[in-house]
Amino acid sequence: MKKIEFNDIAPAFYSVLSIVFALITGAVILIFIGKNPLLYFGQLFFQGMFSPLGLVESIIKMAPLLIISAGLLACFSAGLWNIGVEGQFLIGAVLAGWSAPTLASLLPYPIYLLSVAALGAMGGMFWILLPAVLKARYDMNEIITTMMMNWVAINLVTWLVKGPINDPTSVPAQTALIPMEHRLSMIPFTSIHIGLIVGIICLFIMHYVIRKTTLGYEFRVLLSNKRAAFHSGMNVARITIWGLLISGGFAGLAGVSDVLAIKGLFQGDWNPAYGMTAIPLVFLARFNGWAVVPLAFFFSFLSVGGEFVARDQGVPIFFVHILEGLTLLFFAASEYIEKRRAF
Amino acid sequence: MSSLMDMALIGAVMASTLRGTTPILLGALGETFVERSGLLNLGLEGMMVAGAFASFLVGFKLDSLMLGFVAAAAVGMILGLLFGFMTITLRVNQIVVGLGITIFAHASCSFLHRVIFGNQFPIMFTAGQTHEVPLLSKIPLIGQPLFNQHWLLYLTFLSVPVLYFIMYKTSLGLRIQAVGETPWAADSSGVNVLKTRYIAILFGGIMGGLAGAFMSLGDLAFFVPNMIMGRGYIAIVVVMLGKWDPLKVFLGALLFGFSMSLTSALQVAGVKVSPDFILMTPYLVVIATLLIFARSTNLPAALCVPYERGQK
Repeated sequence: MKKIEFNDIAPAFYSVLSIVFALITGAVILIFIGKNPLLYFGQLFFQGMFSPLGLVESIIKMAPLLIISAGLLACFSAGLWNIGVEGQFLIGAVLAGWSAPTLASLLPYPIYLLSVAALGAMGGMFWILLPAVLKARYDMNEIITTMMMNWVAINLVTWLVKGPINDPTSVPAQTALIPMEHRLSMIPFTSIHIGLIVGIICLFIMHYVIRKTTLGYEFRVLLSNKRAAFHSGMNVARITIWGLLISGGFAGLAGVSDVLAIKGLFQGDWNPAYGMTAIPLVFLARFNGWAVVPLAFFFSFLSVGGEFVARDQGVPIFFVHILEGLTLLFFAASEYIEKRRAF
Repeated sequence: MSSLMDMALIGAVMASTLRGTTPILLGALGETFVERSGLLNLGLEGMMVAGAFASFLVGFKLDSLMLGFVAAAAVGMILGLLFGFMTITLRVNQIVVGLGITIFAHASCSFLHRVIFGNQFPIMFTAGQTHEVPLLSKIPLIGQPLFNQHWLLYLTFLSVPVLYFIMYKTSLGLRIQAVGETPWAADSSGVNVLKTRYIAILFGGIMGGLAGAFMSLGDLAFFVPNMIMGRGYIAIVVVMLGKWDPLKVFLGALLFGFSMSLTSALQVAGVKVSPDFILMTPYLVVIATLLIFARSTNLPAALCVPYERGQK
């Protein structure tokens, strides 16, 4: 039997270490505002992990994170920074909310689902098309452009649900409610919608696309040496556009899944800001699809547990985002230790 | 009568252009020096949020505007120090650190705001006061909009030529440029690369903090967690557009200040467009200007490359 060396588990070790340090720093912050961190984390872990409600909620909330992460795997492993998943998610979601009530009455259920999903994914791709072309053609920083498209999307969807696609029969700014029989179906014997399975499939497809296909190989070359990619005759512009479009498409699909399964409609002020969670998550997973699953569970459990505890102990839900930011910072710092070990 | 209305509208646009320009310009001037030294600070957005919150919290609780601005500068500097420690000393990925700082700062401010103020958004009534410049403010038409503003606004605009001078005519400015272009050459000619970069990022942090403080205590008189709305990223765009030259950065910031003020001016003028639609314009302007002007960017050669002796 092969002995397990430290170097084999080092990536996982550093990711777990980053989370542990973030939790410790979070505990210090809690002490600072006069809360008991043992009580907070105790209740969070107990309710999140050991109550059936918390566990099921955490698993349901994994779906959008898994789908978004599948797309981020593609662009991050090509060294492309799609920071605008929030905007692409909203565009996918608003398209689903607008099209689902009509399409459901016209088409048989499976075809209706597929067409809404395709529409949402195309919406997400459309939303990143401009940043992708600008990056490919003029090497324009995609962090900036995708971020700007976020704010355009946030304001655009608000305008859409107030005006053109507003459901006139309801008072708040929202689209028409999708009837229960036209929502995403559940995994048999559970109350978990099939978005979870879609997410896991997307994730593993992308995991293998990156490792086993020509496009994936080109992504990885682009990440490690752009000039080498260019001089070996790769079409850098085409790879760049694909990397970004794929990530946008999955973000749009995640929006569809949340609207069809959980919300049942699109509301103007609804913005779950999954990007803030998915970006640290994919880094911690080191662009490895298998590692995304447990991490997605952990982060979604943090936010579900955090919501429960927020009510009981008066620790605002934003605390979970602090932990996410800290995890990203500690993860960045772990790169230093890793480099030193390498010499 | 209508010409009087037009005059008032033009005056209002001028005044709000200047106020909209100030936070972007403050952040962008700091970022100019940071990027010249070879660092890309994507944490600027977070530093502006933290500055806005810290200045309001301290200013409101201690009832002192001055301490509020000092607090903003201090918090900006601390975040700058954190960014510097991770990217200069530990030499880790600047983009990840920048995003981490922005998420952390944004979440912390929302969190602390909820802990301290609950669901209240108190207003600080002494904030946002303007100061008339004697004589100049009496000039018809432009006097009031240009010379009856907050002190930090005057200071920001006056700092443009000063920073231009520092960048191109002092040894500090030349050292900053050198460590951003050829750090190994700068090192071998006796420039302390790490120290020079620390100076730049601490300055960038202070400017970012003050930019936030201007939003919450200068232009407005309250704090809401989403008030910065991407101005940090817009400042980074302005630096790229201005090609790391304080004077050109100033012109770029004015352009965005103008597009932000148009959003309110159109509403005042009674143009029948939905406010949500108008709110999109500054971000569309960013992308459009990038399209027109930024096709050839000469990035500092060592941007985003950590420096280590003996490694090239």
